[in-house]
Amino acid sequence: MDWSSWWATYSTLVLSIGVYGLMALSISLTLSCGLLSLANAAFMGIGAYVSAVSTLQYGLSFPSALLLGTLAPSSVALVIGVPVLRLSGVYLAMATLGFGEVVRVVALNLDITGGPLGLNGIPLFTEWWHVLLSVVAVLLLLQALRHSRIGRAFEAIREDETAARLMGIATHRIKLLAFVLGAAIAGLAGGLNAHYTFTLSPGNFGFENAVDILTMAILGGIQGLLGPLLGGAIITLLPELLRSLQEFRMAANGVILIAVVLFLPHGIWAPRRLARWLKKRSKHADA
Amino acid sequence: MRIQTLSPIVALLSVLLIPLVSHAGDIRIGLTEALTGPASQYGVPIQNGFLLARDEINAKGGVNGDKIVLIEEDERGKKEEAINVYKKLIFQDKVLMIFGPTLSNSMFAAGPIANLAKVVAFGTSNTASGITDIGPYIFRSSPMEADVVPVTLRTAIKHLNIHKVGIIYGNDDAFTKSGYDVFRKSLEELHIPVVDTETYAKGDVDFKAQLTKLKAANPDAIICPCLSEEGANILLQSRALGIKQSFIGGNGFNSPKLVEIAKAAAEGTIVGSPWFDGNPSVQNQHFIAAYRKKYGTDPNQFSAQGYDALFIVAEALKKIKLTGQLEQDRQALRDVLPHIQIDGATGKFAFRPAPEHAIKPGGYDANQTPFVYIVKNGKFVLLK
Amino acid sequence: MLAQQIVNAISLGSVYALFALGFTLVFGILGVINLSHGGIFMLGAYAALLLVTWFDLSLWIALPAAMVFSGLVGLLIDVLILKRLRQRGAPHLMPMIATIGAAILMTSLAQGVFGSEARRFPMEWFNDETLKLGTITIPLLQAGITSLALVLMVLMMWVLKRTRLGQALRAIAESPRSAALLGIPVERLFHLTSFIAAALGGTAGILIGLSFNAITPFMGQPMLHKGIAAIILGGLGDVRGAVLGGLFLGITEVFAVTFLSSEYRDALSFGLLFLMLLWRPQGLFGASATRSA
Repeated sequence: MDWSSWWATYSTLVLSIGVYGLMALSISLTLSCGLLSLANAAFMGIGAYVSAVSTLQYGLSFPSALLLGTLAPSSVALVIGVPVLRLSGVYLAMATLGFGEVVRVVALNLDITGGPLGLNGIPLFTEWWHVLLSVVAVLLLLQALRHSRIGRAFEAIREDETAARLMGIATHRIKLLAFVLGAAIAGLAGGLNAHYTFTLSPGNFGFENAVDILTMAILGGIQGLLGPLLGGAIITLLPELLRSLQEFRMAANGVILIAVVLFLPHGIWAPRRLARWLKKRSKHADA
Repeated sequence: MRIQTLSPIVALLSVLLIPLVSHAGDIRIGLTEALTGPASQYGVPIQNGFLLARDEINAKGGVNGDKIVLIEEDERGKKEEAINVYKKLIFQDKVLMIFGPTLSNSMFAAGPIANLAKVVAFGTSNTASGITDIGPYIFRSSPMEADVVPVTLRTAIKHLNIHKVGIIYGNDDAFTKSGYDVFRKSLEELHIPVVDTETYAKGDVDFKAQLTKLKAANPDAIICPCLSEEGANILLQSRALGIKQSFIGGNGFNSPKLVEIAKAAAEGTIVGSPWFDGNPSVQNQHFIAAYRKKYGTDPNQFSAQGYDALFIVAEALKKIKLTGQLEQDRQALRDVLPHIQIDGATGKFAFRPAPEHAIKPGGYDANQTPFVYIVKNGKFVLLK
Repeated sequence: MLAQQIVNAISLGSVYALFALGFTLVFGILGVINLSHGGIFMLGAYAALLLVTWFDLSLWIALPAAMVFSGLVGLLIDVLILKRLRQRGAPHLMPMIATIGAAILMTSLAQGVFGSEARRFPMEWFNDETLKLGTITIPLLQAGITSLALVLMVLMMWVLKRTRLGQALRAIAESPRSAALLGIPVERLFHLTSFIAAALGGTAGILIGLSFNAITPFMGQPMLHKGIAAIILGGLGDVRGAVLGGLFLGITEVFAVTFLSSEYRDALSFGLLFLMLLWRPQGLFGASATRSA
């Protein structure tokens, strides 16, 4: 198959890999701060709706629509983050799931979002380089963050929140930052997604998606930044690769999830495991 | 041991790598429905209808001597998968045209791909308005609710004494919501007031709270643009609560399952739909018998529409000479399809151009008179 | 109408309560949010349906058999998945994801085997009579479900409060490690808890299957959402709270329909849940946070 027909066939898949890579990065940001937040799918939905309404109904340009789609979910995150982030562990997971349901029900009942019919005929604006640029920009940002004081504060909070607070880290503010930034990345991904799939409906950003996104991050591993990207790519490609299993392909998906949790607890891309393994090898070589 | 653990992988690989064996004279057509996930309860019967029609056409020597090959793909009822499958079928499998996807939302996502590539996309189960506005390559054989509902309502009013109605519908589903919108509009035009409107969500099984409220509002009939799955539960629970009024259903109510499950509770229910299992026409009785023989279950409206759709396209293919030049053949099919008329399991069928919107030319909707029928003694009986 | 709506609320709430009972038990004892509880609920319904329709068993044999079957599924999940994660001391995110995987697996297998069309028990297999009290109608089956939920709740509370077994379980809920030091067979009781919880979940599925035309491979998902809401409202891990939370959720939903509008039912109940988490994460009836919180 030549290049142009390959691209024609798989371009959407490639864009989805990038977009879901962003989503996995977004959830891994909150996870790396020890927050089990499942609101990312809802933030993606807010971003997608806001940017699609901007281009479709207000005729805004794509960049400004994306900007709005990034700002809107992060402002929502800022507002709900203050009270929600007092919760931890499963309580936070449940609260953010509840928030996701609230967002879905709101989208179902508003006129501007088209109710259950959703928005249709969204213009095709997203090009491959928009997605690539977004992924690279987010990667650079997160990389810089990791090596900054804030990144170290994330790690301190994840290891032991009380100790971190005693060390003088403004834990609440740092957690809020992770939450808001995660929402911004999710919103950007949503805006990009809306502009190559032509349509949006409230069901696109529900519980199932929240779980998918979490799975991507866990599967890939959250120790490094490549892990979430890898996880996003695998979960996006899996249904395509398993096509020949037909009605049992979702069963294979379930088995893979269980297997990863049982046998690869740190995900596929685990730099620390790799480093340990390499060290062991070199020790063997020395001896 | 080692071979044992490897064997499933080998099996998987061999399935992946089997090339599509096809002959020069094959007509390759894409068929994508939701075969897994919740929407598969519609997707699977549709696919069954198509496969039955394919076997019948090919058994009779195909179209102009060419066999029809359906390339089947699962789209899981998800918009991104529908787009991916469409692209695969158009650019990789190089099909002549595509049937499906199952849900209106998926067609809104995948349709533009086909339209841009100048390939016919043919929906058999998409009833939402606006589908054929996507462009001139979009066809559907499923009549819109907007065509079915006014006929149903007028017929119902003629037979029952209706001055005010209550409504119950699912407000988180594109299919039931657009059904509701159309009912609302038709009721306004007929000047029939709605005394109470109730909603439910996907997955609900207990509707007694809403029905108790409807009962208190005391309408003359209850309108239920619901799917038969919820419909049966709603009917059973209404009767248990002592609601005696007739129900009026939309497209989704039309399933043999409704009566099978709700039994006596379904008595008096009025349904409008493009397909009627009691339609005595030869084509329909043949279809029902053949379907039962092949699958061991009763067909429903969705399978009938899938079955007819392949005959519509076969009819069109008879009228063109395929050249093997893909683009040319795709265009030729697109040009001849709007003029095709058949008499199938769903009765007489023809296309009509979508209403012109703005500057964009639209596709083609179904031009079909719906059947309106009532449940009497556990059977669907035609209402005139 | 109000009296009827109160009956409706209690009958809806008791279905939620029955589902939440097993769900909360696993959380309380094992400290795990078992997201495959919806899948077990679904398999229980199918198991009973199969025993009745394929093997022609009487309902009175099929019901306990399906309960045991659901229990065994829960036990299998515990032995194959949760046990390994416990031994590794994995963070509580891990069992959540693994049980999501198990739920996907169950749903997909059920769909492959049974198809996705909704089914119900053949009508002649159960009683669809109704009890009439003036203008109020109570379907007998619903009354049965409500009583069963209450009986099971009281039974569970009695076991937990008054028996040696319950004492041991409560000790585990406090701290599995010190329970083990006291000579309590912690692993065995984890297995037992998983079995009982799954049997309860399966029972809820069977009863829903009996009352409604609703047995589908996907029936577990919406119920799981309600179950999550119920146990948060009642207090995570609290048996009495789960039942009260389930009833409370049922009452909220029905009253939202009655006094507001059915359109806002879900927004109201999830909004309420959201506010509840912010205001009282330990739930309406929960006394103290459990160890994993």
